[in-house]
Amino acid sequence: MSNLCWRANILSRSLPNCDRQLSLIVRRRITTKSAVTQSPISLSSRPRCQSPGAKSRLAWRDWFSSSQIRAIHYSPVTRHGGIERPASGTGIKVHFKDSKGSLIKTVEASEGDDLLAIAHEYDIDLEGACEGSVACSTCHVILTPEYYDQLPEPDDDENDMLDMAFGLTDTSRLGCQVKLTKDLDGITATLPSATRNMFVDGKKPTKH
Amino acid sequence: MPLKPLKLAVIGGGPSAFYVASRILSLVPNANTSPPVRVHLFDRLWAPHGLVRYGVAPDHPEVKNCTHKFDATASDPRFRFFGNINIGDAITPISHTHKLSLSSIFNSYSHVLFATGCTLPTLHSALPPSQHCIPALSLVHWYTQHPNRSPPPALDKISHVSLIGNGNVSLDVARMLLTPVSTLAQYDVPESVLDVLSRSSVRHVSIIGRRGPLEAAFTTKELRELINLPDASMVPIEPSFLKPSPDLTLSRQQSRTLQLLSKGSKNAFGSTPKTWSLDFYRSPTGLIVDPSDPTTAELSLAHTMVDPRTQRAVSTGESSTLPTSLVVTSLGFHGEPTASFYDPGLGHLRTLGARIITNEGHALKNMYASGWAATGAKGVLASTMMNAYAAADTVLGDVLPDREPEEPKVLVEDILLNPNPDLDGVPREVAQGLKEGSVTQYGDWKKIDEEEIKRGQAVGKERERMNWEDARKFLETVRDRSPH
Ligand SMILES: Cc1cc2nc3c(=O)[nH]c(=O)nc-3n(C[C@H](O)[C@H](O)[C@H](O)COP(=O)(O)OP(=O)(O)OC[C@H]3O[C@@H](n4cnc5c(N)ncnc54)[C@H](O)[C@@H]3O)c2cc1C
Ligand SMILES: NC(=O)c1ccc[n+]([C@@H]2O[C@H](COP(=O)([O-])OP(=O)(O)OC[C@H]3O[C@@H](n4cnc5c(N)ncnc54)[C@H](OP(=O)(O)O)[C@@H]3O)[C@@H](O)[C@H]2O)c1
Ligand code: FES
Repeated sequence: MSNLCWRANILSRSLPNCDRQLSLIVRRRITTKSAVTQSPISLSSRPRCQSPGAKSRLAWRDWFSSSQIRAIHYSPVTRHGGIERPASGTGIKVHFKDSKGSLIKTVEASEGDDLLAIAHEYDIDLEGACEGSVACSTCHVILTPEYYDQLPEPDDDENDMLDMAFGLTDTSRLGCQVKLTKDLDGITATLPSATRNMFVDGKKPTKH
Repeated sequence: MPLKPLKLAVIGGGPSAFYVASRILSLVPNANTSPPVRVHLFDRLWAPHGLVRYGVAPDHPEVKNCTHKFDATASDPRFRFFGNINIGDAITPISHTHKLSLSSIFNSYSHVLFATGCTLPTLHSALPPSQHCIPALSLVHWYTQHPNRSPPPALDKISHVSLIGNGNVSLDVARMLLTPVSTLAQYDVPESVLDVLSRSSVRHVSIIGRRGPLEAAFTTKELRELINLPDASMVPIEPSFLKPSPDLTLSRQQSRTLQLLSKGSKNAFGSTPKTWSLDFYRSPTGLIVDPSDPTTAELSLAHTMVDPRTQRAVSTGESSTLPTSLVVTSLGFHGEPTASFYDPGLGHLRTLGARIITNEGHALKNMYASGWAATGAKGVLASTMMNAYAAADTVLGDVLPDREPEEPKVLVEDILLNPNPDLDGVPREVAQGLKEGSVTQYGDWKKIDEEEIKRGQAVGKERERMNWEDARKFLETVRDRSPH
């Protein structure tokens, strides 16, 4: 069994809700290495997955040489959203704004793509430390109420992470959990302000 | 005028160090028009990534995805990592590390940033470490196989564990003790640890907090994980604790915590082989061991309430005792008192913004700190990352001609760094260690990383960790002659 199939198996046993992230990784690997042929078992549409060692699936030498090439071209691998850009004029429009409300970029993406992958595809500075596994809250975005209301409610796991997000608002979501539908055409995602000295976990009144 | 070089030594190789390096290297292009930049990370541990490798619980593999970004950062030719190098003194030195003085760093670098974290556990004055009382960090070090070699706990001889403190580290330890070994076996848990866990006779874990559910330090995600454990159930919480006075406005997280606690655990209490409890409003006052029965100890607890004015726990005057086999204190962490610029009052380095401050209150030129070293042991990776990015911006503000220096702007130059260092030079001791093969670099780590995953795969798990002896042996077989 190839490494990745093994991984897909162990994951599907241990974390029952994780096909999209895995397929994202699979696709990434295919684009860099075209090593994997079998697609992972789909279990649900909920993107909840881990990929420890996804990078290490590349042999060290491959990792090293491809990363050297990346270093020269200056496009780190984490920037790739692993999605395909639609032909101009045919996609769903997404506006990304900075914390001050100025437009960073308007981009186009396809149904099913999530805001984190889209941001990475278009080099927008939205972090995704856990790579879409709902375990970090670094992909926090603020939506406008009209679009926020069109989305399915965040589930418990997403709410747990939102509890820890900085500058949480009533229309905050995790970017990795917002998937585009046709109805969301024209959606605006604002990046929260990166204020200093935000060292707490979210709650906690003054302590001892 | 030639651009001023930035040759930055980062002490520590945890997430904050990597996030600082990542930010600096991505904002300064590797081009003639930019200042020449080098970022060298030094860690006393042979493996990089700090608490992401030697702290984050094994059943949180997704959290470790951040290392993919660290790998990308390390692929920049201006970056280097040197493991097994202890800068300055260590409270509990690891025998195989090289010691490097700060002055050697000052001679070879133009700028220095401390990303040393908070490596020591905070202890409880009434509960000195003993056979019956250990800090949570010992257990974390044991199950992550930290190079300081914490001994395994005698889980086969005990039935009741009392965790003091209800932060996320406390809940991590509780989960490790209550999760079925078959589940843990798929993750990054060393075989020797699985072995001890599979012989565990622990039946109940008491998580003791001196304040109530509204003040609990854990986050809802961690609480939910405990609540959903397959083989364990929670003792129902006294309903009055879950009804806050109506004039209180609760934060979103507080109301969600209360909801979760009111629902109780997924498994009904008593229906499972193992149980756990959140024992609120209890503060330990001592631990007594009966010499005739050393398997059990009596933990004395003062009953407490939260003073609405100060939010502190105050005694109600009542008390009780709890028979227990092992007390594990999980009260947070602090920095090392012997570290330069350590402030014992703060429990971490003395900083203003990202700058290091002297005893006299002056901000030092070209000296910085980030992450837990600067803020104390507070916050998850997201906050560590934000803090590191701000620190990187402070460094860049001092170096890039088109940027304004960040506050504080009045700086003293008490410490002489090297404004024109040999960009690719390393301190002599490091060069020597590299020659001997006892200093690790990122390339070494990637080979080990790959091998650990391969070894894990062979037995159906995420990875099988190496200790330094294994790693050193393995490296001897694979290290190629080329440097880096
Ligand atoms: C047990 C535990 C579990 C955690 N789990 C999570 C989690 O699941 N999710 C999450 O988001 N956050 C988690 N956190 C928080 C997270 O780990 C921290 O936010 C983060 O690691 C802080 O990064 P840092 O780089 O400042 O410190 P560290 O990660 O501690 O890195 C500091 C590094 O400096 C090195 N060092 C120290 N002194 C010296 C010296 N003198 N010379 C050389 N090297 C030195 C140390 O060896 C260490 O590698 C956890 C924390 C703990 C303690
Ligand atoms: N999964 C994760 O995301 C994860 C995992 C591990 C750690 N972390 C983060 O790492 C940081 C450190 O975690 P931590 O759990 O070590 O620390 P923490 O969150 O600060 O919790 C410390 C706990 O110890 C208690 N305490 C301190 N001194 C005490 C005393 N003298 N007597 C009784 N109780 C005392 C505190 O109670 P009081 O509140 O009353 O002082 C608190 O409950 C946190 O920000 C945490 O969120 C995150
Ligand atoms: S990327 Fe971590 S929660 Fe979205």
